Amino acid sequence: MLTDRIDPLPPKRIYRWDLDKTYLRTEFDTLRQLVRTALQKASEKKAVPGAAALIRELKGPESRLCIVSGSPTQMRAVLIEKLKLDGVEFDELVLKDNVRNLLRGKFKALRGQVGYKLPVLLESRSRAPVEAEEVLFGDDAEADAFVYSLYADMVARRVDEPVVHQVLQAAEVYDDDVDRIMQRWREIPQADPVRRIFINLDRLTPPAYFGRYGPRVVPIFNYFQAALVLTADGHLSAPQALKVMVEMVQTAGYNLLTLSNSFQDLLRRGFPLGAVAAGFAEALQGPAQLFNAVRPVPDIITAFTKRLAALGTPPAPPPAKPVDYLSLLDDARPRTHKARKGRA
Amino acid sequence: MAQAGKDKKPKDDKKPEAPAEEPRPVTVAFDVMGGDHGPEEVIRGAAQLTLETPHIHALLVGDRDVIDKALENIRHNAERVAVHHAKDWVSMTEKPAAALDEKQDASVLVAARLVAAGEAEALVSSGNTGAGVLSCARSFKLIPNVRRAALATVYPTQSTHGTREDPFSLILDVGATVDASADDLVAVAVMGTAYARIISKNPQPTVALLSNGTEAQKGPPRVVEANAKLSKMSSLKFIGNVEGVDIPKGTADVIVCDGFVGNVCLKMLEGVSETVVELAKYAYKEKLLWRAGLAMLSSGIERIKEVTDWEQYGGAPILGFDRVFIKAHGRSKAKAIFNAGKVAAKAANNNLAKAIQDALPQA
Repeated sequence: MLTDRIDPLPPKRIYRWDLDKTYLRTEFDTLRQLVRTALQKASEKKAVPGAAALIRELKGPESRLCIVSGSPTQMRAVLIEKLKLDGVEFDELVLKDNVRNLLRGKFKALRGQVGYKLPVLLESRSRAPVEAEEVLFGDDAEADAFVYSLYADMVARRVDEPVVHQVLQAAEVYDDDVDRIMQRWREIPQADPVRRIFINLDRLTPPAYFGRYGPRVVPIFNYFQAALVLTADGHLSAPQALKVMVEMVQTAGYNLLTLSNSFQDLLRRGFPLGAVAAGFAEALQGPAQLFNAVRPVPDIITAFTKRLAALGTPPAPPPAKPVDYLSLLDDARPRTHKARKGRA
Repeated sequence: MAQAGKDKKPKDDKKPEAPAEEPRPVTVAFDVMGGDHGPEEVIRGAAQLTLETPHIHALLVGDRDVIDKALENIRHNAERVAVHHAKDWVSMTEKPAAALDEKQDASVLVAARLVAAGEAEALVSSGNTGAGVLSCARSFKLIPNVRRAALATVYPTQSTHGTREDPFSLILDVGATVDASADDLVAVAVMGTAYARIISKNPQPTVALLSNGTEAQKGPPRVVEANAKLSKMSSLKFIGNVEGVDIPKGTADVIVCDGFVGNVCLKMLEGVSETVVELAKYAYKEKLLWRAGLAMLSSGIERIKEVTDWEQYGGAPILGFDRVFIKAHGRSKAKAIFNAGKVAAKAANNNLAKAIQDALPQA
């Protein structure tokens, strides 16, 4: 007999992605690279290995893909075409209107990240269901770890208004943007939606640099690592994570060594992935045609098992702790290329 | 599964594009614990390899906590780094055999075992030399027709060697086999030649026997006999005997001797270098005119220092085993470890052991 009760849908999930250096392999540190990037056709743009597969696997009927990028609005058409070529369906795509910033004389806003991304994130959040969980993806080239963490803690009311004001001042955010941020923040109901913040280490910044943001921020060397953590977190199944791996093997030359090393790197940082590895072993036993690309299966399982055994006792996960934003103000300030390089 | 390395990562700070062709991927095991400057310098050198040489993977062997703490603060590419925990290590002052008997989990021994098991293709250690050689002896096999391994080293010379114009000649054996027979000396000559061919890109290195005179009949019976045997080997460019004075001149690309003589020579050459430096320091302090003279020479001295910098070369190979072992200097810092790793990968990639085996006279 059918019950008269319909179970509520599982909480919706929002995946927020940056584009340049997070989804796309973009170079714009020099004027020449900037021009080349601006003139590239969609088919010439390259995605970071595994990023497209990861988005495709994460995107379901109960999830939303929201993209907020510092790319100029003039690139909208080419970016949409690129995402389409990669089979990526998005729900929001927000780009930076730097022409408007120029016309209004807001020159600091041209490089600023906090004053641009924070209000966009808060506005998007205001349209989302309270119970919606979020996973955010950024990179180490700009202030993504800072902005995303601040956004998460603002929504959760773990950060005070005076601290936010100090941060916005240090980040050289214009007054009208400050007002916009504060207004949106007050409107959003309190929740604690942000589960993970993945930072793609495009510049290979040492992972410990992000330790100050707590264990919610996960620096990753590739998207296989993100897939592993998301499998452990329950966002992906083992076969879905394996599809990310397959794309990386087939399109970017990843192999047993690089994949098992990536796996071990996470173990050494305290991520308990034993159950994920077991899930992989089970998934790989199936007849799925897709996984023929990464066979022989025993090699993969052996490689992962060896890396696990080589460590002896796995370390404990790092403890959660409040983020001291006032000690991280340097990360919030608009950064020159030289300064970015200096950090790494 | 594809065996190519992942897309290239940066020399500086970017993930680079994949090149058209690259050397075969090689994993080099690093004994992290043994050097004078502690684990961090070894880890820094290995980490730099993962950034600059996309085909080299580093297997760091040592205390996992120590490695992790250092590694998370050092720029590296984790896709090319693996860690193997080893709880013990052998210090510079310990007696190798006793230490290894007692510490079965010593990092150098564990690393050698991993290389023997095929988890890595070469070993680099800056720790206790005796423990390194003994670990290899216990884990690796000698190449057929090699009775004993030889420790080689490079010494700065007046003339350059090979297509790379290295300002070094290779001297071996400098301490592994104290009492060598004529056949051992022949094997040492073959091994040194193979190494010079691969590492210095010297297709036909000149080989000489170290003796107390250039005439073929000079020296102890084993040297005379070795001279006769080497003279008949068309595969080697044997130029006869040389004297001690020919070492710094660079008369030969490869100089062969037994471990006792080699070690005495090496220590004497090091002593002379140190004495020259001390004399220069004395002169600098003693007279203003001498100080001015040294100041005028300073750019030249710097240049000499640069070209003869042992850290550039990385380390000394232990030849004769079926696996590659590069012994880095105990005082090695990151740069020397980095270069030792590159040399180890090159030797492994060019199958040094097989090159030696093919060149040896069959018993």
